[in-house]
Amino acid sequence: MSETTETPILQVEQASDKYKNLIVILTVFTTVLAAVLAALQADASIRSDIANRDSQYLAIQASGELHRSGLEANYEFTVFGDYMKNLQESTIMQLTALEQEQDGDDDAARTTNELADIAQARADAAVKFSTLYSDPRYAPQGDDIMPRAEQYIIDINAKSNEIVAQQNESADAYDRWNRKADSYVTALTILAVAFFLFGLAQAVKSARMRLAFAAFGIVVILFTLFVSAITLIA
Amino acid sequence: MKRSNWFIHRFEVINAILIALVSLSTALSVWRTNVIGSNAEEASRRGLIDAVKNQAYENENYRKAYEEAGFAYQYAVKEAEVNALEDASSAEIRDRGVNIRQYLLPNMQLLAQPLATDEKYRNADGTYNLQKRMDDLRSENTDPVDPAVSFKRADSLFSQQRWLVIGSILLAVSLFWLALAEVSKDGSRTIQFVIGLAIYLIGVLWFVGVEMTFFFLRRGA
Repeated sequence: MSETTETPILQVEQASDKYKNLIVILTVFTTVLAAVLAALQADASIRSDIANRDSQYLAIQASGELHRSGLEANYEFTVFGDYMKNLQESTIMQLTALEQEQDGDDDAARTTNELADIAQARADAAVKFSTLYSDPRYAPQGDDIMPRAEQYIIDINAKSNEIVAQQNESADAYDRWNRKADSYVTALTILAVAFFLFGLAQAVKSARMRLAFAAFGIVVILFTLFVSAITLIA
Repeated sequence: MKRSNWFIHRFEVINAILIALVSLSTALSVWRTNVIGSNAEEASRRGLIDAVKNQAYENENYRKAYEEAGFAYQYAVKEAEVNALEDASSAEIRDRGVNIRQYLLPNMQLLAQPLATDEKYRNADGTYNLQKRMDDLRSENTDPVDPAVSFKRADSLFSQQRWLVIGSILLAVSLFWLALAEVSKDGSRTIQFVIGLAIYLIGVLWFVGVEMTFFFLRRGA
């Protein structure tokens, strides 16, 4: 008599415990997966932080270098403009003196020649200060030839261009690692759904429902693994 | 034999206590890892502030050096002009030169100092040594800051954070094995318990090792 009453109760208890161990194992596996994803997210986040810092540091350096090259170019072209002005002034004075000589005004021609010499003296003093005339890389190779100002501008901006190129690389690296870190956060968020489903599976009485929730949880884990793998490879 | 029975009967309680301990250790390790991460970001931020300060100082040095160079250049050109004026045959022009030398040049020289007044900045060809002037301006900075120091510390802290994260994973894995031992009914639970305990101890040792290594690498900082 007692056997007939105990057997259905035992069967019900066995049914309610069915797959519980599977759910626990799945939950613990999800925990470990979450830990690994958190580690990958932390690593991507650290790399993104370092790249972001490097990019900002290089941006500071690039702005400083642009400031320096701007000052240097401004000084250089002021000297160059001054030299050209004095040189032309001297030439014009010499031409004027010639005209005055032809007109027979010798005193005026002498004075004008002296003014030409003074302008030439200013030009001679200025040319020593000009990199465009003293540096063989830019200095004119003959009379009536202008210095290589374009090459000077290329050279003076070379360092800042190099720093900006490095800065761009760091900014790209920051962008890349930041995207990865965000993707891992997405994967972790999806994984939270799996935790929820396994929690529900643990709570329900029906073994069939438990299995159904576990199956949905497994699908979510597989999707998380897919997202993580794509992120890792990218 | 008696002790073995005692252990088997209380296994689930002992394991539950251990799981609680491992959970607590994991929480602590995650907290510590985050603290190290925050310190690393703080060091990075300080390095950037130092870099901005340095660059601002350097920018001002360059501005000053080129401003002085401009005045010195104008002085040198005017001096050459005065020499030419004084060499002229015309008395009118010579008088102009004498007056400019007497009244204008000293004022221009004042503006052009120290390049036009200090001999150490004068090159043999009459130009000025701007690099030397820049070096002197830099050496006037009584409180120089080097961003590389903060960046180096930040890199070290970021590296420590990475290794600590691995420690946290070890602790999480030990939690997996201990939970497995808790739900298992057969004889494999002891093996699972031992594996969980071993990984937990490795995780704790790893954590302590990483902390001590980086403590000594940064010489206690």
